[in-house]
Amino acid sequence: MDLSLNVNGRPEQFAAQPNELLVERLRDGLGLTGTKVGCDTGQCGTCVVQLDGRSVKSCLILTAAAAGSEVTTIEGVTTPGGELTGLQEALRQEHGTQCGFCTPGMVMALGELVGNTADREAPTEPEIREWLTGNLCRCTGYHSVVRGVQRACSAAREKAPAEPATTAASGQEGSGR
Amino acid sequence: MTAVTGESPVQEAPVQEAPAQEVAAPEAAAPLAGNGVLGQPLDSREDPQLLRGEATYVGDIDLPGTAHMAILGSPVAHAKILSIDTKAAEQLPGVLKVATAADFTDVMPLPCIWIPGGVESHFPPHPYGLPGARPVLTGDAVRHVGDPIAVVVAETPRQAAAALAAISVEYEPLPVVTLAEEALKEGAPQLHEAVPGNLNAYWTCGDKDRTDAAIASAEVTVELDLVNQRTINSPIEPRGAVGDYNAATGEYTLYASTQGPHNHRFLLAALVLGIPFNKLRVVAPTVGGSFGTKGYLYPDMPLVLLLSKALGRPVKWVDTRTGLMNSTVQGRDHRQHVTLAGTRDGRITAVRATSYANLGAYPSTIGPGVATALMGRSISGMYDIDAAFCEVYAAFTNTVSLGAQRGSGRAEAAFLMERLVDRYASEIGMDPAAVRRKNLVPKEKFPYDNGLGWTYDSGDYQLNFDRAIELSDYAGMPARKTEARTRGKRLGVGIASYVAICGVGPSTRMSKEGMLGGTWESANIRVHPTGEVTVTVGSASTGQSHGTVFAQVAADELGIDPDQVQVYEGDTLKAPYGQGTYGSRSYSMAAPAVALTARKIKSKLVKAGAVFLGIAEDKVVYAGGKVYEEGNEENTKTFAELAMAMWYGWGLPPEIEPALDETTHFDPPDFNYPFGTHVAVVEIDELTGETEVVAYTAVDDAGNIGNPKVVLGQIEGSILHGLGQALMEVAEYDDNGLLVSRDLNHYALPRAFDAPFFTLDKTTTPSPHNPLGAKGAGEIATVPPAAAVVNAVVDALSDLGVQHIDMPVTPEKVWRRLRGESQ
Repeated sequence: MDLSLNVNGRPEQFAAQPNELLVERLRDGLGLTGTKVGCDTGQCGTCVVQLDGRSVKSCLILTAAAAGSEVTTIEGVTTPGGELTGLQEALRQEHGTQCGFCTPGMVMALGELVGNTADREAPTEPEIREWLTGNLCRCTGYHSVVRGVQRACSAAREKAPAEPATTAASGQEGSGR
Repeated sequence: MTAVTGESPVQEAPVQEAPAQEVAAPEAAAPLAGNGVLGQPLDSREDPQLLRGEATYVGDIDLPGTAHMAILGSPVAHAKILSIDTKAAEQLPGVLKVATAADFTDVMPLPCIWIPGGVESHFPPHPYGLPGARPVLTGDAVRHVGDPIAVVVAETPRQAAAALAAISVEYEPLPVVTLAEEALKEGAPQLHEAVPGNLNAYWTCGDKDRTDAAIASAEVTVELDLVNQRTINSPIEPRGAVGDYNAATGEYTLYASTQGPHNHRFLLAALVLGIPFNKLRVVAPTVGGSFGTKGYLYPDMPLVLLLSKALGRPVKWVDTRTGLMNSTVQGRDHRQHVTLAGTRDGRITAVRATSYANLGAYPSTIGPGVATALMGRSISGMYDIDAAFCEVYAAFTNTVSLGAQRGSGRAEAAFLMERLVDRYASEIGMDPAAVRRKNLVPKEKFPYDNGLGWTYDSGDYQLNFDRAIELSDYAGMPARKTEARTRGKRLGVGIASYVAICGVGPSTRMSKEGMLGGTWESANIRVHPTGEVTVTVGSASTGQSHGTVFAQVAADELGIDPDQVQVYEGDTLKAPYGQGTYGSRSYSMAAPAVALTARKIKSKLVKAGAVFLGIAEDKVVYAGGKVYEEGNEENTKTFAELAMAMWYGWGLPPEIEPALDETTHFDPPDFNYPFGTHVAVVEIDELTGETEVVAYTAVDDAGNIGNPKVVLGQIEGSILHGLGQALMEVAEYDDNGLLVSRDLNHYALPRAFDAPFFTLDKTTTPSPHNPLGAKGAGEIATVPPAAAVVNAVVDALSDLGVQHIDMPVTPEKVWRRLRGESQ
């Protein structure tokens, strides 16, 4: 079937099998390999991308079901070799990565949380840990990632205390990914 | 921790440097006269590309013309193969080749290179046809679920996977055994004709007669039967391999998710394929975690190379999660009967262990060594014990092969000893901390021969232990227990101390341990004419920020900016030999090679500096990245000026070669022995039996540390890994040998809410066995958590008469114990 997606701000049109997964389209079809596959069962979160502003596991959604949507992958977050976002910079400072395989998925999942906290109280530690529930990491024990999110939220609030959130979705709905 | 917001207690914990040990250090252990960048928590230079998703893992490699391989694994645990019919699969769309064992009759089985008991009987090293060795594909019988039978290569991954279903295999079922102790009984199912009784090795260490006598005459003895359950390492990136044969040159290239590209090159070229060493290149791209599992030789590696040659195209294979669970080496898996003897006043006099180790269906690359020496020689832990003995029966069963797992061997040893110490303390009515304190190896006894084969290099165990006890508020626990009861919770506290052998290793010592292969590491430093520096090492990172840390080592030694230093590794074409990253060895093996190489560069620059400055050599000072005349700093040359001058080579006397390019092969005199003490505090819900780790204190000693930020991350991850084994992880096989925990829906990994922030501190006792005073760090904090948590759970349940509880400590198990049921 002929489908179209808007990926990282670029319109993409292609023919896809009905059973094609979104992660297959992104990685194999469009060459966007920053999105990873780690578990086949929706458990690990390495394949998280944002679909119309909400973080979703791209191994659990058919390309056909995403047709017509706005998809943001890790490649759409920065330019190659370019400046890191506030969240990425905070994770760098806290060394919230080791082997890095889970990292793009975490950045995509946490981006939604951090992006929504500029105009409200910073998320608590349990809230951050809850938000990370859908992402598995075997290297870090998550602590440096949690510290990174805390740092990113503080920095975001200091930088723009009055600015409204840039993403429409609420960050309060937990880990419904 | 109770503090759940704001800055982490990690940053608030007092970090006090322990006074350096006064150990008799060889000349090589002189302190670095560097520029201070070593030991600094520099940001990891690898991080930005990881955070942008720009790093290339093996699954991201897309060579032109690539075909895709899928592997047919056995659906049953034990059966004779009567026939394999591949015709239907060959007809399917996109299928290029279907291959079985019959296609690879001239390929050697995958070697096991760690043979318990020493290599003398195997010299010259030639492990072809080692009893039970795994063939590239099995043709006669299958011995575990997932045992590779056939492969398909097709145009797309989906076509290859679909074709597997069209291969028809006729099996004659055989009886199944999944437990080592059962496999050794008379009448048990036999896995290999060449291995009667399924016994791969009977291995011992220590003094049996002395230990038996000490136990027979002891005032007090305690015994435990322990299950150190099989677990699955579960790196988040499954393994993968791409083979690329170049018909024009006859060269093979293997891209693989490997911890040791040089080692895999050696094993593949010399021992499996029999191809010229200089025609095989192995490249480790970015590797998505390993924890011990990616240092092994697996069938997919030779297969992608051979099939690439057969098809004239690159062949790529990337595993699935279920595939990983059924093929990548698994860890731990000992059943142990252990005894400790002591006096009524708390002096431990002997420890004895009988362990049944489950090697799985085939000997993995180094699995038998992990199950024996790495575990057995460590059982006495931090304690000064007069008599110790360990025996291991390593048996084949119908399960996935056993290998290393973060903290391998040492975690199993710490678990048995630390459980015994608590059991003993309970028996004599003494505080577990006091018993431990009384038996620690005293500072003045180093180097300390533990009587089991290891000689601990250096340590101040009392200082380390006392700090952990103090930092954990051990004295305040009775009050916290009382308070917890008011909330319907039982609070328990558990201590676990450990010594972990790291720095594998001294090659001669490892040969006596049974290792076939040099275990040294090397480093090359090339100073370019413009003053920039390239460091290449034989090691290979699986997420340990080598590019950052090795640059710090070289920059510190040379007195230059670390940004001037670029590090390359992981490609056998570009890097000097080395075994790779395992057993927390890179910083105490490869980094010393970097430091010693930098010293060669410095030494040459001092000689050349005398020429360029027009002074005698003994008047040349090398400091701060330049040379100058002693007492006359205006007569000086910077590092960049020297680099250019050495490149031109003008005016150099014949005894000084131009250019700056040096290599060192570092083979240490002995291992190093990091150690530490962890304290876990758990709360058990009276109603649900759920165990929550509410506080965790760890004080580790890894000698001098290169980059505290990198090590902090490794310590935190290691502790959570250990907590996972204690509370939730288990590779569960049913009676038919089916791996029930076959994916991440059925195998629990710790998630972000499974632990509080940890309270961390360190002591620092440099090792005398390398020029950095380094000890292993990466995985050491995985060694004690399982013991600390189970000790804490037993403490919380002790008034119910509970003396032991098997891992994983699930809510159901605890709930039953709370209601008086036995284990």
